[in-house]
Amino acid sequence: MTTPDRTAPRARVRVVLVDDHRMFRSGVRAEIGELVDIVGEAPDVDSAVTVIRETRPAVVLLDVHLPGGNGNGGVDVLHGARGLETADGQPVRFLALSVSDAAEDVIAVIRAGARGYVTKTITATDLIHAIRRVSDGDAVFSPRLAGFVLDAFGAAAGEIAEVDEELDRLSAREREVMRLIARGYQYKEVAKELFISVKTVETHVSSVLRKLQLSSRHELTAWAMGRRLL
Amino acid sequence: MPTPYERPAPAPEGRATAIPSAAVPAAARPRRVFARPAEGKVIAGVSAGLAEHLGWSVRWIRVAFVLLCIPTGAGLVAYVFLWALSPQSRGGVIGDGTTTIDPADPQAAARVPDPATTQAASEERDATRVLLIGGVMVFLGLVVAAQSAGFNARLGILVPLLVVAVGAVIAWSQLDDAQRGRWLGNDSGTKRFSAARLVFGGILALAGLVIMATRGRSISAMWDIGAAVIAVLAGIALIAAPWMLRLWSDLRREQAELARATERADIAAHLHDSVLQTLALIQRKAQDPTAVVQLARAQERELRSWLYAAPTDPDVTLAAAVAEAAHEVEELHGIPIDVVSTGDRPLEDGGQALVRAVREALVNAVRHGAAPVSLYLEVGPSGVEAFVRDHGPGFDLDDVPEDRLGVRGSILGRMERHGGQARVRRLENGTEVSFALPPITADAPEESHDHA
Repeated sequence: MTTPDRTAPRARVRVVLVDDHRMFRSGVRAEIGELVDIVGEAPDVDSAVTVIRETRPAVVLLDVHLPGGNGNGGVDVLHGARGLETADGQPVRFLALSVSDAAEDVIAVIRAGARGYVTKTITATDLIHAIRRVSDGDAVFSPRLAGFVLDAFGAAAGEIAEVDEELDRLSAREREVMRLIARGYQYKEVAKELFISVKTVETHVSSVLRKLQLSSRHELTAWAMGRRLL
Repeated sequence: MPTPYERPAPAPEGRATAIPSAAVPAAARPRRVFARPAEGKVIAGVSAGLAEHLGWSVRWIRVAFVLLCIPTGAGLVAYVFLWALSPQSRGGVIGDGTTTIDPADPQAAARVPDPATTQAASEERDATRVLLIGGVMVFLGLVVAAQSAGFNARLGILVPLLVVAVGAVIAWSQLDDAQRGRWLGNDSGTKRFSAARLVFGGILALAGLVIMATRGRSISAMWDIGAAVIAVLAGIALIAAPWMLRLWSDLRREQAELARATERADIAAHLHDSVLQTLALIQRKAQDPTAVVQLARAQERELRSWLYAAPTDPDVTLAAAVAEAAHEVEELHGIPIDVVSTGDRPLEDGGQALVRAVREALVNAVRHGAAPVSLYLEVGPSGVEAFVRDHGPGFDLDDVPEDRLGVRGSILGRMERHGGQARVRRLENGTEVSFALPPITADAPEESHDHA
């Protein structure tokens, strides 16, 4: 399921776990604690910011709904830990984890800077892959997030960017990649389907993530608010 | 709030044998909370409430009030104070939901007039009230006439007293929340109106007091008195303000807590009906992992639709119908299906065929394929596309015998009959069935109806 360079022995990723449910934290720790280095845990916004500032992990697994802070949950943590870097100069990266599929939650954490969004029903293997991908600086898109993106950018309705740099629309290639991810394809399968390399797929996904974060497409927020649940 | 279940059962037959029923003292009847009933009142319901509370006759209490009024006005003062200090009740229930009746006492419950008779009675009372007001007016007129005829009714004291009384009544009557709604007819603007009433009543009462205090004195003396009064009022305000503020914030906090408690009770009721039942079922089926997963998924979906907006009616739109079909298959076979859809359109004939075909493909996927099974539906201006994908060993269409109708008949054939198409692809890791439908056009050719 993974390319050889991902299964090769490598430094264990340092991870901080932020979730207000202790049972969920211990569950995740039991499932993935063997393969990644869980250096800290936090149950709320304020302690999360403190722990992240102290430990400077490569990846923060961040619950979207958290008590404390300004009441915006994970978004507050992202704002509070903005600009932090790990010991080797990489930015601290965030992977949002939630039971909620509500579009406004997804769009809010992604726009606040999370590198990916997965639901809590994800399997341990997939979660490990997602953590590694995020720690490498890539984006993690679940099929559902890809569906949101296609919908929000009007790509399903046929709106395609003329030039890749356009922030408010997806390019034809990005749309194809998003469609395949929405259909349940892994990055490797997407690459095979489109006759491109996995690296190129990752580039496309990252560029979609950038558009999602930077686009001023006014419909984006309104769309997310109006569409509570897919 | 006490419920009948919370009190110790009063063993009725035990009491009946121990004490002869006639010997039960009348005082043993639980006393009702003093409240002014909205039903059966003449002025503000004070007499009716008092009668209900003390167990005396309303008629005698009313007569007593009137008699007490005549020589000194003590009855009026007592009436107004009781009015101001007692809550109003409606159908035996005080505004905040406290019941004035002991719920364990069926007799007391029976005494509450039922709304139908109350309605008729209240119209009669309105007429009585008009008569009463008219009587007061006639009395006032007589007093004025007597004054001009040379009879000294001491108007110098009477008028300011009346002004004070009217002001107080106007200010206090805003405590009567039921009346507020009746006067205004609606809720908007009620707050401003009652505030205006309070200010008006206060000014009226104050003016009466000032007139009384300055009787027969000069304007300059009035200024002195006014200054002294203002100084005293300011002093009182200064001393009482922190206390009042704390009282107010306490009240606000209690109200917020009450609202929160109500909300919690609602959520608790829902959790009990759904989640707790499911958890109990899961514990009983702990030996059967498939059933447990199925129960958990079904409960998750139910809870989601309760937490967020209710899903769109599956009879109306294509996306909702496809999602509904996926949920059905998931429930039947216990394998989770990830549904992602973008766009939507009304459900028409072709859409219904698509839903049936997708359902068939999903059943195949969960039966012969392996999880994860995903479904992607895209509705755009260039038509509808749907993809069902599983991660099983896959199969080749050519390997399927001709007589097996599943894939050919209900997926490929059905789509073609409705102007669309379906394709089965074998991937390296699993199978994908893709569907396509043309966009809805005004002059779409009527395809043969499919009711398979």
